Amino acid sequence: MKRRGISVNTVLLAMLIGTVLIVLVSTTLLFFGSYERSLVRSSETNSIRTVYQVSTTVNEYLSETDKIMETIKGTLEDTGVDRGEFFDVFLRIRPDVVAVSTYDGEGNLLRCYSSLGDEPTVSDVNLSFRKEKIGDYAEGYISAPHVETLFTGAYPWVVTMITPLEGAGEERWAALDISCTNISAYINDIGIGRRGYCFLMDDGGNIVYHPQQQLLYSSLKEEDMEMIAGLPDGSCVENNVIYAVQGLRNGRWKVVGVSYVQETISENLMEMGRIQVISGAVILLAMMFVAAGLSRTMSRPIRELASQMEAFEQNAEQFTYTPDGRLREVRILSESFSHMVLRLQELMEKVRDEQINLRKTELKALQAQINPHFLYNTLDSISWMCEQGRNKEAVRMVNALARLFRISISRGHELIPIRSELQHAESYLQIQSYRYRNQFTYAFEADERCLDYLCNKITLQPIIENAIYHGINGLVEDGRILVTVREDGEDILMTVEDNGTGMDAAQIEAVMQKERSDHAGIGIKNVDDRLKIYFGQDYGIRIDSVPDEGTRVMIRMPKVRRERENAQV
Amino acid sequence: MRRFKMTALLAAAAVLLSVFLGGCRAPATAGQEGQHRIFFVVKSTETEFWKSVFAGANAARAEYNAELTLYGPDTEEDYDTQNAMIAQAVEEGAEAIVFSAISYTENAAAIDAAAEAGVRIVVIDSDVDSDQVDVRIGTDNIQAGRITGAAVLDTDDPSLNVGIVNFALGSRNGQEREQGLREVLQGDDRVQEMITVNVAATQEAAEEGARRLLEEHPEIDTLVGLNEPLAVGTGLAVSDGGLTGKVRVIGFDTNVQCVDMMREGVFSALIAQNPYAMGYLGVEYAVSLLEGKKYDAESWVDTSTTIVTPDNMFTPEGQKALFPFG
Repeated sequence: MKRRGISVNTVLLAMLIGTVLIVLVSTTLLFFGSYERSLVRSSETNSIRTVYQVSTTVNEYLSETDKIMETIKGTLEDTGVDRGEFFDVFLRIRPDVVAVSTYDGEGNLLRCYSSLGDEPTVSDVNLSFRKEKIGDYAEGYISAPHVETLFTGAYPWVVTMITPLEGAGEERWAALDISCTNISAYINDIGIGRRGYCFLMDDGGNIVYHPQQQLLYSSLKEEDMEMIAGLPDGSCVENNVIYAVQGLRNGRWKVVGVSYVQETISENLMEMGRIQVISGAVILLAMMFVAAGLSRTMSRPIRELASQMEAFEQNAEQFTYTPDGRLREVRILSESFSHMVLRLQELMEKVRDEQINLRKTELKALQAQINPHFLYNTLDSISWMCEQGRNKEAVRMVNALARLFRISISRGHELIPIRSELQHAESYLQIQSYRYRNQFTYAFEADERCLDYLCNKITLQPIIENAIYHGINGLVEDGRILVTVREDGEDILMTVEDNGTGMDAAQIEAVMQKERSDHAGIGIKNVDDRLKIYFGQDYGIRIDSVPDEGTRVMIRMPKVRRERENAQV
Repeated sequence: MRRFKMTALLAAAAVLLSVFLGGCRAPATAGQEGQHRIFFVVKSTETEFWKSVFAGANAARAEYNAELTLYGPDTEEDYDTQNAMIAQAVEEGAEAIVFSAISYTENAAAIDAAAEAGVRIVVIDSDVDSDQVDVRIGTDNIQAGRITGAAVLDTDDPSLNVGIVNFALGSRNGQEREQGLREVLQGDDRVQEMITVNVAATQEAAEEGARRLLEEHPEIDTLVGLNEPLAVGTGLAVSDGGLTGKVRVIGFDTNVQCVDMMREGVFSALIAQNPYAMGYLGVEYAVSLLEGKKYDAESWVDTSTTIVTPDNMFTPEGQKALFPFG
């Protein structure tokens, strides 16, 4: 048995699992998508809230420094107070104020009060107050972070706040250098998510304070300041990083919160994913069992049906089938098949019967036909005999002709006793031997025991006709025709032998295959066909022939008794 | 056949399930193992260079949640104490040692022993003669020497007499820096002579050595100090000797005294290494080694080197290279 194609089982299983997988994956993806979006949104909200809190604190810090600036300004504008004493105390209570310095209109350093020393020692460079930028300086100016350069021996990072002074003699500007230590501790502690952080930047994209400032300075970490400087207040997500920006009240600084989409969200997603995968696996497993059960109930009867069909294909006639199957569809299929089998078998039977009947009718019609040439020639011979006054011979001739026709018709029976068939053959030979002016002799050798069995009528005559026309006719010496009938085991064997010209293999083949071309009388093939139709493939005609020596035609048929003939026809 | 297919499918499903369950749980348990114990054994705990290394290490410690212990001898010659510290670190359960060798050869045995005990070895700044080192991080010293040479040659003077103040011969760093320096200087015909004096890596010894060098070779117009204390000592010798403007000094690292002296005109260039990065990366690499990563120990993980001159020292980049934040 060949096993081609895919079994129902596999298709069913694949479809079920496929469906489950598709549903699982799509719901998971959908779920993940919306979950991720909501997580990103909540992370953003979280970031914004944190940044807002930081900005509130830094704003407080800034207003505090504004107040300090006010105080310093007041002190510096008031010529009556002892500045030295004031700054002595002031610098002690505000250690984050690194230096306060004053400048004239040209930007020359006038005075400096600092915890780093009494007098600025170096004047090569001053990052706190740069003459070339004097045009930019105004109330509320805050510089980018730089190191304090007014003293040697210590270089803390500071930002400088500059304010103009009014009515204080030659002094025009006050600069306050302040380090970010006060807010650094606070900002360091701010975390967003696991790795997120906040930093302070100014509007020039410079970092004012960053918890990882030294990492940035050491090139171990980078912050895309150009991009961040361009961000508006609010939040945005760039490359899986959430940036939350909040401007501060001084209008120059911004608080930036940085947190990572990956870490905050992927952890949650991992957990959800785990649950999804587990439930998916459980569903899949369950589906596999279901599929296995389903395919068992469905595909087993179908496969049984299929094997029944194969059996039917092998042996249609003997096949019996009883419908089976609990499933409605399978039962319908099974019943249909059962009906089909019965119907097919009926049809086959019918076709075969019709075929046989057709042949029988056809043969009967042929048998009923009298070769008009034969009749004409025979009658011509009789007439000639009468004219010659050979009345006795004419009478015998007429009798033979009469017998010939009687047996031919045989009241419509196909099967006649062998005895009658032999009479038929003899009558024919009698007529022909007159017509051929005794060119040949003939003899019958029949076993008495065989004569009551039945045989198809007009079996011998076409063979004798062939022997005369094709065997004896061309012969110079006397021809002989011997007809024998004898038992051969369970069969009857008739032979017609002649000593005529004989036939080669091709001629034998032609005789056995062709219907007679003149459409008159019956050919050898018809005889053979009739034998086979009536008795089966084991019976029929065999021709042995040796050219120039003669031909022997053997006719094999079973022993048929009279009763059967009645049953048959 | 069919039965077999069914069983195989079910088995596959079971395996998948267990893999997913197991796979999801694995990282959670790994995270619970606790902190990695990392020991720093370096050359000194006093100089600004090493303080900056520790600052970097502490920043990484916070980020990678590692347990950090910092060791260093009092002097930069005391490799015996270093060896004892290595042994102690192993005893105290170090998983990784971030090491900077005083002596290329004398520290090798101790490091081999530590590696033998299963400790991962990260070398920063100064190499040790051991094939047990897992990763090396630091300045490319030959290249740094070449940069120093370029700084020495960055002058209009028609002739140059260079005095080199280098530290003990046993240290790989000093030798490599001098090698790179000499390589560049030899290629320039303005250089008349190069005289090296080897001193202990302290400010006092360097000052003394530089002063002697200037006395014995008054023709010297350029001095090079090849690490932080040597640079400070050399600078002081020139400054205190009243030779500011007559003898140019080029030094390694960014000690605040050197910065002050650069503003006074003593130093014409400072080669700023990135000690903060060494400390930070030392911890970072130690952690990733302990998590199973492998590195090519033969090639150095190069930390950047910046050359700072009076012209660029107060630019934003110069400030970042010279002055640690906070």
